[in-house]
Amino acid sequence: MADVAAWADAFRAATDADAELQAHGRHYSCAFQLDMEQRRVHVTMHRGAVEQLAIDPPPLLASCDFGLRASAETWRRMAQPVPEPMYHGIFAANAHHDLRFEGDLLTLMQNLRCFVRHVELLRETGVPV
Amino acid sequence: MAAPVFSEVIGRYVTVEVAGAPYKIFFAERGEGPPLLLQHAGGLHTHQWRHALEDDELTARHRVVAFDLPRHGKSDPSPAREWWKEEYRLTGAFLRELTLAMCDALELDEQTVYVGQGSAGNFALELARSEADRFRGVVAMEAGAHTPGAFVDWWQHPHANAAEVGATACWDQMAPQSPDAERWATWFYYTQGSDAFRGDLYYYAVEHDLRERLGEIDTARCPVVMLTGEYAYVPSPQLSRATAEQIPGAHFVELKGIGHFPMSENYPVFRPYLLDALARIHAEAPAR
Repeated sequence: MADVAAWADAFRAATDADAELQAHGRHYSCAFQLDMEQRRVHVTMHRGAVEQLAIDPPPLLASCDFGLRASAETWRRMAQPVPEPMYHGIFAANAHHDLRFEGDLLTLMQNLRCFVRHVELLRETGVPV
Repeated sequence: MAAPVFSEVIGRYVTVEVAGAPYKIFFAERGEGPPLLLQHAGGLHTHQWRHALEDDELTARHRVVAFDLPRHGKSDPSPAREWWKEEYRLTGAFLRELTLAMCDALELDEQTVYVGQGSAGNFALELARSEADRFRGVVAMEAGAHTPGAFVDWWQHPHANAAEVGATACWDQMAPQSPDAERWATWFYYTQGSDAFRGDLYYYAVEHDLRERLGEIDTARCPVVMLTGEYAYVPSPQLSRATAEQIPGAHFVELKGIGHFPMSENYPVFRPYLLDALARIHAEAPAR
């Protein structure tokens, strides 16, 4: 669990320090879940900064607007520094692998630019699975 | 003060009639020799081809021409149409009439090689089928016989930022190792074409369907080279390859280390593939 906690700290730090999110995230406010098969990462963003980041939160504390669900293997491949083709983004992995969009897609689309950048930060931090 | 640096690329307008209405079309050109007509993808504009237009070697061999489709870049919708009262849907018939009208207006003869990408890549296949004797050959980039799925309302949803949504969906079409500045330039061009993106995808994802007609393409009359980047997720290289395999005599090349927008996301990687495709076409094209 120590490694997972360290990963959560690293992902939070990478998010809050990211120049792109700082430049464009003034209205990046939403809650989403990254379901990685073996772990669920629950992130609440408020104006471009992490408000809450929880790993495997209890069900009654896991409310979110939208989410991504994929196998642990897909997440690991997406989190490589230079992902191989079709693991290089959420749309590519959705079209060709097992990544699925869940929840309110309108909120996803409203936050798409920042969210896509946010997911790409996994290439720097890796994933907790 | 440093001397100003002028590009050799010249931009002009020409008015042509399409579907009974005048269109003032912006085009850019440079060079001498057998023409290349470079057509931008849906939602983009001529700037997508800026590196090819500024390629000294390419323009020493070819007259390189690119134009903006109406509603894109500097080409307005026709002033004779109340276009704001219409739902925009690009059609193959409009593309054909416009392309042939531009070829006539700019004196692009039968030695012209048509190079199209995305929607224009699909249209390149249609040109090879229906206008085989009008072109020396076609390079169909990021194309397939049928490429459904992307004609959706997210590209024009009033509760979302259509410019960012469309451009960001296309972000994933590029290779992560392509230079950031070039990928962001491509993203930026997409934001500029956001009003036309959905309508362009009508042609790309709905109307275009050559699945039963690929056998009508005669590569002895009009050679076909298909190019698709390995990071393009739609159409994937597998889809493009499957299309090429159903066109007797067509070539397919997978572009390594690059995505759906080779000419704008990483021109140095794309350039050798383009030159090779042109060499194949000029070697195989019939004498005219």
